[in-house]
Amino acid sequence: MQTLNDAALSNQATLTRDPYLVIENVSKVYPTPTGSYTVLENINLTVQEGEFICVIGHSGCGKSTLLDMVAGFRKPSGGEVRLQEQSIQEPGPDRMVVFQNYSLLPWLTAFENVLLGVNSVYPEKSQSDKEAIVREHLALVGLTEAANKKPGALSGGMKQRVSIARALALRPKVLILDEPFGALDPITREELQEELVKIWQDHQITVLMITHDIDEALFLSDRLVMMTNGPAANIGEVLNIPFERPRDRARIMEDPNYYELRNYALDFLYRRFAHDEE
Amino acid sequence: MSVFVEIDHVDRVFALADGGQYVALKNIDLKIQKGEFVSLVGHSGCGKSTLLNILSGLDRPSTGGVILEGREVKGPGPDRMVVFQNYSLLPWLTVRENISLAVDEVLGTTPESERKEIIEQHINMVGLRHAADKLPGQISGGMKQRVAIARALAIRPKLLLLDEPFGALDALTRGGLQEQLMRICEESQVTCVMVTHDVDEALLLSDRVVLLTNGPEAHIGQIVDVPFPRPRHRMEVVNHPNYYGLRGEIVYFLNQQKRAKKRKAEPVVAVARNGLEKVNLDLGFIPLTDCAPMVIAKEKGFFERHGLTDVTLSREPSWKAIAEGVTSKRLDGAVMLAGLPIGLTLGMGNHSPLPMVSSIVLSRNGNAITFSKRLYDEGVRNLADFKGVIARSSDKVPTLGMVHPASMHNLMLRYWLASGDIDPDRDVSLTMIPPAQMVSNLKAGNIDGYCVGEPWNSRAIHEDLGFIMATDLDLWQGHVEKVLGVREDWANQYPQTHLSLIKALLEACEFCDDRRNREEVLEILCRPEYVGSDPIYTRPGLIDPYEFGGGMESKQLLRFNQFYVDHTNCPNRSESLWIMTQLARWGITAFPKNWIEVLERINRLDLYWEATRQLGLPQIEPNRHPFALFDGVTFDPDEPMEYLNSLPIRREVQIQEISLDSLVTA
Amino acid sequence: MTVQATQRSRFNSQGITTYLKTLIPPVVAIAIFLILWQVLTMTTGTLLPSPVRTVQEAGDLIFDPFFDNGGTAKGLFWQVLTSLRRVAIGFTLAAIVGVAVGVLIGTSELMFRALDPIFQVLRTVPPLAWLPLSLAAFQQANPSAIFVIFITAIWPIILNTAEGVRRIPQDYNNVARVLKLSKQKYFFKILFPATVPYIFTGLRIGIGLSWLAIVAAEMLIGGVGIGFFIWDAWNSSRVSDIIVAIVYVGIVGLLLDRLVSYIGSKVVPEEQKVG
Repeated sequence: MQTLNDAALSNQATLTRDPYLVIENVSKVYPTPTGSYTVLENINLTVQEGEFICVIGHSGCGKSTLLDMVAGFRKPSGGEVRLQEQSIQEPGPDRMVVFQNYSLLPWLTAFENVLLGVNSVYPEKSQSDKEAIVREHLALVGLTEAANKKPGALSGGMKQRVSIARALALRPKVLILDEPFGALDPITREELQEELVKIWQDHQITVLMITHDIDEALFLSDRLVMMTNGPAANIGEVLNIPFERPRDRARIMEDPNYYELRNYALDFLYRRFAHDEE
Repeated sequence: MSVFVEIDHVDRVFALADGGQYVALKNIDLKIQKGEFVSLVGHSGCGKSTLLNILSGLDRPSTGGVILEGREVKGPGPDRMVVFQNYSLLPWLTVRENISLAVDEVLGTTPESERKEIIEQHINMVGLRHAADKLPGQISGGMKQRVAIARALAIRPKLLLLDEPFGALDALTRGGLQEQLMRICEESQVTCVMVTHDVDEALLLSDRVVLLTNGPEAHIGQIVDVPFPRPRHRMEVVNHPNYYGLRGEIVYFLNQQKRAKKRKAEPVVAVARNGLEKVNLDLGFIPLTDCAPMVIAKEKGFFERHGLTDVTLSREPSWKAIAEGVTSKRLDGAVMLAGLPIGLTLGMGNHSPLPMVSSIVLSRNGNAITFSKRLYDEGVRNLADFKGVIARSSDKVPTLGMVHPASMHNLMLRYWLASGDIDPDRDVSLTMIPPAQMVSNLKAGNIDGYCVGEPWNSRAIHEDLGFIMATDLDLWQGHVEKVLGVREDWANQYPQTHLSLIKALLEACEFCDDRRNREEVLEILCRPEYVGSDPIYTRPGLIDPYEFGGGMESKQLLRFNQFYVDHTNCPNRSESLWIMTQLARWGITAFPKNWIEVLERINRLDLYWEATRQLGLPQIEPNRHPFALFDGVTFDPDEPMEYLNSLPIRREVQIQEISLDSLVTA
Repeated sequence: MTVQATQRSRFNSQGITTYLKTLIPPVVAIAIFLILWQVLTMTTGTLLPSPVRTVQEAGDLIFDPFFDNGGTAKGLFWQVLTSLRRVAIGFTLAAIVGVAVGVLIGTSELMFRALDPIFQVLRTVPPLAWLPLSLAAFQQANPSAIFVIFITAIWPIILNTAEGVRRIPQDYNNVARVLKLSKQKYFFKILFPATVPYIFTGLRIGIGLSWLAIVAAEMLIGGVGIGFFIWDAWNSSRVSDIIVAIVYVGIVGLLLDRLVSYIGSKVVPEEQKVG
């Protein structure tokens, strides 16, 4: 029943633009007292500039490890991650990460949280310039009025907005999101998805995002990377999401391809690579 | 089946700190059968957890009550066990001890050896043998919830209550647990009520999904029956032809509630201007080629010209949504299926009759029956071939899609099948699918064919998924298709507005029918805010020759989309009467004893004549002669009962007086 | 086999390293402190003895804590033991009464409203302020000292227990209600285990306060006991003895605190730990 056009399954060879972010033969092995444990094995992915990539897979499949290696928090045991031909060795402001739990400093206001990053990356800029950058990015996520509130006084959705503003204020080349909307209620989640895709379009930024939500991936991404289960997880398949942009949530659901892609991804995750939790 | 749990007119009012009151739940009335799985779905703050707490006895209703097996629920008890979102396992007890605490307490009179067996059996049931001696802190969230489920079921409750059981888990972990819960519930045949906000979860697990409106005064907005056969498997369920239709319906409801929340801040008031009672209109349409008159009236300024300066067109996902929108007064009116105002007036779907007015026909024809490529490959070219296929494959009944019970698609498809001696209820399975989902279902092999408007036939042809068995020009040329439908009380409240609306649409229809304007009509229709389809799929029939697929030659069908010529727009009561006979024939509505009165109330010809008079258009009465469809069987509008009785294949016909007057002021 | 062996030895050497890491800094710090003390007493003209002189003068106290010459002339071990006995009695009474009262005001909103303000006032009263009152009541030194311990230790125990009871997650109570657990079962299976971390927090604060109070109380009531020993040494100008006694008091106080928290860590399940 599951037949998908070959066109939907991505073929790296057909991509003609220059590669931007390259994950080449990457593997990650951890030593343990009982021997080594392979989390990821032989991961290959080439991302074009300005692409929106979603990564989906069951918990424990190593997708966070993969993104950590792109961010530079961890180093691959084998292979290499390159951004614009530069090998990634450590974290840097050109690759900003947004975490599910926001990771804001609770004693700083939204404004100060964003300013903190701006201060460290642009030490040479004048105070007024830096503040202008902060204001611009808070406005971008619709938080101008809440700029002087501390995280404790903000809702989950607003906190994640601050977190996104903080990341974007440093003008990263790649924005990495680790299941950013997982903790939000469905309505807020949809709002933030729409804001994120708008920001992505306006800034022409390259996005790598982990999600557990197929509908979220279908709405946001250009390509959906589906991971197999660990240990030694790798990329099972990459789905091209062909919907025209700008996308409208209700409209893409009218597209017959939507259900086909959704069911294909469901089949991958629940039948072909079903995850049996212990 | 007997009623097992009855929630009887439950209200829940909370006293506020400032001395005021917050009405969380208002008049909740629900009966649950034994063994049923019911989900409560709504936005946060809609009181669904409060309702569950009332069922469990942890909370008490302010008025009304809950009756379980004939006895009122007065407090919590182990016959109504709850699985909480945050597991509520006691962290100082192991998995086994947590379960045995409950079992020993509740089944204390059972011999110890038997209790031990129950405990072990339930540990096995949730697959946690290897973790039986672990503390909750040592196992994952998904495993904890399995322990909670095992604990709940081990004490053999009559009713299992689940409060967002998987809400704290990620979407994919949730999926695995849902299937496990479903298997356990099917095995133990326990009656379940689950609170969730996950639409897929609700559809996978439930027999019925109860949708709650937003608080305050949350109430049951809609109940969706989930027809998938059990035992269920996720991939079979998502490939069921109705799956995405039902999913869309629930998502639509939730989106409506979301919008309602925003709207509440600024309630819509009628703006009177230009000598009209109301110029701010919300009009609904479905993205189909024949919504053109409504779209053109807006885009080409016909509404403005007639004083309707503030018209908003609302793009709706299904005909059910259109019906709901007009019924709930969210919409002032809509482009409707010809049978919809009639069905609503007659109280179809067990609703109370809602008098509707339909004073202008907006289009005729425009539909086709598409069959799958598979049927083509099996040699199906006509109805007789199809009957042969049905006869050969006795184990599997072909499934055909239609858009709404009161649609001409349904009625004509049924009429057509019956003419070939195929019983549309027994020999095939007819299923309701929103137009936009027809092609994907055909592609996935969930259905074998459908009857729908454009561009959804042409799209299937273009993608080589099927072929055209018949267009409605083959079945009944010039039949009524889309009409303007408004509530009768609305028409009475805003008579001048209604008249202007009819006039604007009449002019728009004239514009649409002129073939010189068709390219422009096409361009506007294909804009994303309207139909938004690729012109390739929209051109056939509207402008280009109609394509039939299956190697057949395309043909120019000038009357495929008929908007104005040949007295298109004048409502024809004979046609409406024919629709009534067909609705009664298939048991969709009763046939009204007072059909003459009902027809006069729905098809207000006086309004149509007034509109044409004001526009200076010729006024020609439609004929009231008997007419016949493709099969030559004559329908005499003076003898509808005789006609109905003469039809060979039909369900048991109900005839009753439809009392409309008492409702006018309501 | 060889792999395992090398791994084990690596882990062992790692274990020793971490052990040394925790041991060396405090030893070095103490050494520096002692040297500083020695230098300061030698260069300034203070009456305080230097460490060396302390050891010389109070050598018998340090090296023989177990002597008993009758009367109050007993070794430090006996002095400390007497004090500990008083603390043990007073603290045990405080623990029993405190937990019971804590559960009472934690479960009953009425009791909480009635008693909490009184407790809030009483807990701020300094321990020694109770001493004259208890002497008046008991007429004897020993029961009075025990009463002071009791009244000092009880407040944190009551208040923390009550807090713990009030903070039992509603879910646990709901489980109990749905299962219709008996009162007794509710107490032992849910209320008590859920409150245990809070009780131990209270006990730890209580034992610390008890030890503080006993030294002060014994100074006033006389007889055997580490408090009176210090007071007696001051009256006899045996400053070196005071220094040795203070070290004893400190070490015993630390051991008491560690003992309670050790018991707590054994009793409280891992994920129940407060903080």
